Amino acid sequence: MSTLTEVRIAAVGDIHLGEDVRGEYRKRLEGIEERADVLMLAGDLTRHGTLEEGRVVADELRDLPVPVVAVLGNHDYHSDLQHEIASELRDAGVTVLDDDGVVIECGGSKLGVVGGKGFGGGFAGKCASEFGEREIKDFVAHTRYIAESWKIALKETQADRRVVLSHYSPIKETLEGEPLEIYPFLGSYLLAEAVDTAGADLILHGHAHKGTEKGLTPGGIRVRNVALPVLGKAYAVYCLECGE
Amino acid sequence: MEAPQYVAARIQQALAEDARTHELGIHVDVRGDQLFLRGQVSGNDQRVRLGEVAHEAAPDLRMHNEIKVVVVNEPGEDEHLD
Ligand SMILES: [Fe+2]
Ligand SMILES: [Fe+2]
Repeated sequence: MSTLTEVRIAAVGDIHLGEDVRGEYRKRLEGIEERADVLMLAGDLTRHGTLEEGRVVADELRDLPVPVVAVLGNHDYHSDLQHEIASELRDAGVTVLDDDGVVIECGGSKLGVVGGKGFGGGFAGKCASEFGEREIKDFVAHTRYIAESWKIALKETQADRRVVLSHYSPIKETLEGEPLEIYPFLGSYLLAEAVDTAGADLILHGHAHKGTEKGLTPGGIRVRNVALPVLGKAYAVYCLECGE
Repeated sequence: MEAPQYVAARIQQALAEDARTHELGIHVDVRGDQLFLRGQVSGNDQRVRLGEVAHEAAPDLRMHNEIKVVVVNEPGEDEHLD
């Protein structure tokens, strides 16, 4: 008979830290090792993507008692310092995904995490396509490239459970509460299509502050919008069963 | 075979009309043989009752009751994804 173990994933996005709140978020992470095996951050860690803000985030996350995996969000790209911010985070012990994957050992189970910032474009039937102006084609091609990278990374990731970590949303259900007009800037169905094709157990995203926590891809994979304003708490914890 | 959208609509109607629940605004999704319930309610008893009514309306579907009980204090409850 196989026994089941659980991997507990703490997740939050859009913490949007700055110098004025230094130390505040760290306080809310106290005791996280009692509640979770890993912490995942779904982007928008800063407000304007400055190096100062990036350093605040790195300090808040430094030497936590659980592994930390993060992706960046559009705000973290705003000052064109995304690579520098990622380096600061990596120096603090955070694994920063950039359209690639990592496997974490969680109490005897292997948890694969694949992802990156993601991007927009809209949702099936109501989305941009690679046609017309160069700017539109570039916009859509960027999302396509990301989706393709995730698909490859997922296929290459050997693990008991696989989670996709994104900033942008793969589905529109978790955007409910946001104005319809901005949906194309909040996510893309290409992300969901890629994950449905390659397979995963859970997709986490942020970005849609006024959205809804729970949704599903067309293929039936659970999606959770973990934007801090949506959760209304320091982080959510999702438990995935892992067969031994 | 009944289209999943119609099955979902029927379950949603049951949740709204059954005297045990009278709950509007529960999101019902049917994917293959699986039934997903989502939404927010103010207490665990109501969540359980909604699960019962939904199950009675579609006994052949495997139900995932993902309805959330609104918790004000930190850090809230864990969610078990089975
Ligand atoms: Fe944000
Ligand atoms: Fe964002």
